[in-house]
Amino acid sequence: MTADATSVRRWPVRPRPRPRELALLAVVAPTLLLGFATLRTQQLAAAGTDRLTLGDPIVPALYLGLLFAAHAILTLAGRQTDQVLLPAVGLLGGLGLLLMERLPPSLVVQRFGPLELGLGSLQLLWLGLALAIIAAFGVLVRSDTWLRLYKYSWAAAGIALLLAVFVLGHEVNGARLTLCLGPVCGQPSELLKVILVVFLAGYLSENRALLASRRSRLGPLGLPPLQHLLPMLATWAIALAIVIVQRDLGAALLFFAIFLALLYVATARWSDVALGLILFVAGSAALYLLLPHVRTRIDIWLDPWAQAQGAGYQTVRALYAFGRGGILGTGLGAGLPQVGDVPAIPAVHTDFAFTALAEETGYLGSLAILATYAVLVERGLRIAARSADDFRALLAAGLTLVIGIQAVIIVGGNARLIPLTGITAPFLSYGGSSLLANAVAVGLLLALSDRGVALPPPPRRPAAERLVAGLRAAGDRVERAIT
Amino acid sequence: MDGFLLTLWLLRLAFLAGLFFFLFAVARILLRDLHAAAREPGAELGRLVVVESPGEDAPAAGSVFPLDAVSTMGRGVNNTIVLDDAFASADHAALSYRGREWFLEDLGSTNGTYLNSQRIGGPVRVGFGDEVTVGRVRLRLERARR
Repeated sequence: MTADATSVRRWPVRPRPRPRELALLAVVAPTLLLGFATLRTQQLAAAGTDRLTLGDPIVPALYLGLLFAAHAILTLAGRQTDQVLLPAVGLLGGLGLLLMERLPPSLVVQRFGPLELGLGSLQLLWLGLALAIIAAFGVLVRSDTWLRLYKYSWAAAGIALLLAVFVLGHEVNGARLTLCLGPVCGQPSELLKVILVVFLAGYLSENRALLASRRSRLGPLGLPPLQHLLPMLATWAIALAIVIVQRDLGAALLFFAIFLALLYVATARWSDVALGLILFVAGSAALYLLLPHVRTRIDIWLDPWAQAQGAGYQTVRALYAFGRGGILGTGLGAGLPQVGDVPAIPAVHTDFAFTALAEETGYLGSLAILATYAVLVERGLRIAARSADDFRALLAAGLTLVIGIQAVIIVGGNARLIPLTGITAPFLSYGGSSLLANAVAVGLLLALSDRGVALPPPPRRPAAERLVAGLRAAGDRVERAIT
Repeated sequence: MDGFLLTLWLLRLAFLAGLFFFLFAVARILLRDLHAAAREPGAELGRLVVVESPGEDAPAAGSVFPLDAVSTMGRGVNNTIVLDDAFASADHAALSYRGREWFLEDLGSTNGTYLNSQRIGGPVRVGFGDEVTVGRVRLRLERARR
């Protein structure tokens, strides 16, 4: 008995080796070093000196150091979490870093006091923060109660964020996305997509049975009961509002796609998806007719060459870049993303990061990038399929879809498969908000993949029923007091 | 000069090869996971986990029952899941898997069957994560482990 009291409280967790993660990182590290070597040697050769060089080894060393530090932290925490997510994210982030190091650093400059950081250094900073978030979520998040129970609070916070941007946001490149708090600027719609998934997972898992039952019909389509159709219409309206007020086509498309996909995951009814697509087509047609900036985007998509020196310039340059890349690519540093200090493709570091990498690493390189995204999606859906209850399954599926759908939308836009919408390629593009939000998604996935995670809390009755039950109990007490 | 260009070209190829070697390594892991999942006995469609139990002869909290397409619960020994609790009837309730949904049905028990602490009348849909109460035993329906 006294031994218990005097014994030192031991570290509560036992480190657990993660051999697969280590093996994959051991492939990622030399690959990225090779990339840096090619890039720097090419840049030196362009300046007139033929010598193999790694250039400044600090940047790759820092990045790989952070990657292995994240691995070490996850190992020490000793949880049985997924071992493929971190290397896949590490590879994508490293490719993004290669691109940012290759572009002129003057593209984005931010001052932090006396420190002035260019594009590459800033991206390294954001990647470091993103890896820290992934490691922190992977270690610390051991219960999902804080997400499950407060879904309406999360939704309210998300809508508040959206409204704040509507009212206080700054307009950049014709889209009203940026919100500045003092010196720090961010794009809240990036975080909003994670919040939306949390809310939808909570809402759909609680009302799954009700949504799957049919009571009203509209022609050949069986509709869910009307009161449960409302959230669907609300999401649709919010997406439309984002397009109209914020002029952010990408975010609107992403939100609506996530919503439809999750609805299908929850109810397995194609009719809901069909209804959503009808709403989508109707909304798009109306917006095409009403809003000039939507019309421009569609016209460029249909024929960028009609105005190759005007509105279609970006898309035309991107298509040429794909063509220049060929199968093996021009080689890192040898492509043409910029003429002098002016990017050949406007917004190459954000919207067209995939195009620039496709030009320099060719068809094979872009195939590898797409396959890495596919790997992320496969792991995410596997985590969803193995999770213990509906909320976790929907949450994992939703977070996976956030990353997957973003990749599809921007890669499709870059390749002129669908109209271009300003959205970032997850982990490839420059952008602090986007990197951090996607890191939150991956971090949550990592936490959800733990098999030994705490049991889900007991289900609660819906709020209305709890209220009725409470009133009835109070009534009984009053009755007893009287008699 | 030419030797240098050749070296640079080989470096570029090695970089691309590295990317695909990574994908190859990942694919091996994914395949191994798939095979491992296929080897596990995957016949269960879901599982019931005991959350709370009065003890005595009833199954202890934390015990797990894999579920078939139709599983009956009750005090009788012929049930799929024997819940030896004084408050449970011999044939108390049944859980069945139809289409893609689980349904809970009371088999005319004395004390009733509860879904999320509400007494059920006819057959009702049960979602994963919902709680079923039979007698004094509370059980939670969970997705099958894969």
